[in-house]
Amino acid sequence: MLRNGAQALGALLRTQGAALTESLVQQTQGPVVEALAAAGATRGVSTLAVKQRMKSVANIQKITKAMKMVAASKMRSAQVNTENSRGIVAPLVRLLGDLPAAEGTKNVFVPITSDKGLCGGINTTVCKYTRAAVKAVQDGAAAGEGAAAQENMLVVMGEKGRSQLQRDMRNSIFATIADTTKVRVTFPEASAIAEELLKTEYDTTRILYNRFVSAISQKPTIATVLSPDALERSAEAGAAIDAYELEGPDRAELLMDLAEFQLATTLYNAMLENNCSEQSSRMSAMENSTKNAGEMLGKLTLTYNRTRQASITTELIEIISGATALAG
Amino acid sequence: MSSSAAASAYWRVAGMTYLKYANLCADMVRAALKEPLKGKAKVRETIYFRQSLWKDGVPQKQVITDITEGTAGKLS
Repeated sequence: MLRNGAQALGALLRTQGAALTESLVQQTQGPVVEALAAAGATRGVSTLAVKQRMKSVANIQKITKAMKMVAASKMRSAQVNTENSRGIVAPLVRLLGDLPAAEGTKNVFVPITSDKGLCGGINTTVCKYTRAAVKAVQDGAAAGEGAAAQENMLVVMGEKGRSQLQRDMRNSIFATIADTTKVRVTFPEASAIAEELLKTEYDTTRILYNRFVSAISQKPTIATVLSPDALERSAEAGAAIDAYELEGPDRAELLMDLAEFQLATTLYNAMLENNCSEQSSRMSAMENSTKNAGEMLGKLTLTYNRTRQASITTELIEIISGATALAG
Repeated sequence: MSSSAAASAYWRVAGMTYLKYANLCADMVRAALKEPLKGKAKVRETIYFRQSLWKDGVPQKQVITDITEGTAGKLS
């Protein structure tokens, strides 16, 4: 009876002890498990954000790389066209001379810019030069005598130039032209635009564009085209045209035709040069951004791996310390 | 010289600029080409651009000039 009682007590104690130890284990493990879960959650959040970032950077890198390839192949064909078109303006420049300092009462500025962005600083350069040229002409006229009669007009080509110049020179914009390179630049197209320019009845037209020098270099350039009257005046002042003999009643008509043709050819060349510069500038800009995206991706990968490693180490430490706490 | 002077007077009297005259002549020459060359030359006739005149700092109506299938004598 007594033995039975003792056995029963022992069994009771044992079960109670087991329960006690179980509850102890639960108590000690509870915070650890919670901490582990918390650590896992934070790891998930931080690495997830980095992972998403890495994915987006990698995608952008792919896009910039593709854009670079496209720009490079477009540049190659544009370069051929540009170099071919130089032959058409060179004789006219030799004949009539480049007269950037020519004065007139009606000055037209034609900044040639691109329609699309992501092509480096070429559009900003053209706009900067336009502002400077307008200011220089204004100052020149103010120093001279015909300050009151002077009129400066802008015919902006390209969307990017329009959005930049309409901010501060809105009132002097005469017209805007865009999408000239959408299909392709042709001489009839340049002629059609030149005829629109003729409607301004300019004295001097200054075409501002980026001259294509090489794939990594574009030079902002101002090409000046004079009206027939201004040409006549420049001939009197001893320009290059005076070396040729132009006689008879056709002289005025001939000069008029020449001036028109010069405007169209200069515009044609300038459009091609600027298009080529745009492509080459876009190519180098995209090359740089691809490089930068690669660098960024490297940094992000490093951060990602470091946080992953750190959280794994923390977990291991926690597990081991938990286990040693149990064992001890 | 005298013949060209007479011709120039002729088209100028009709109200054409030199550029219109020159491009019309070029179109005629292109139209006279035979086939393998004609197709190649035809793409050099395309004109496409958008323009809008501005008045008092506000753009007016936008005009699209689109002669992508070539002028072939349509340029008045």
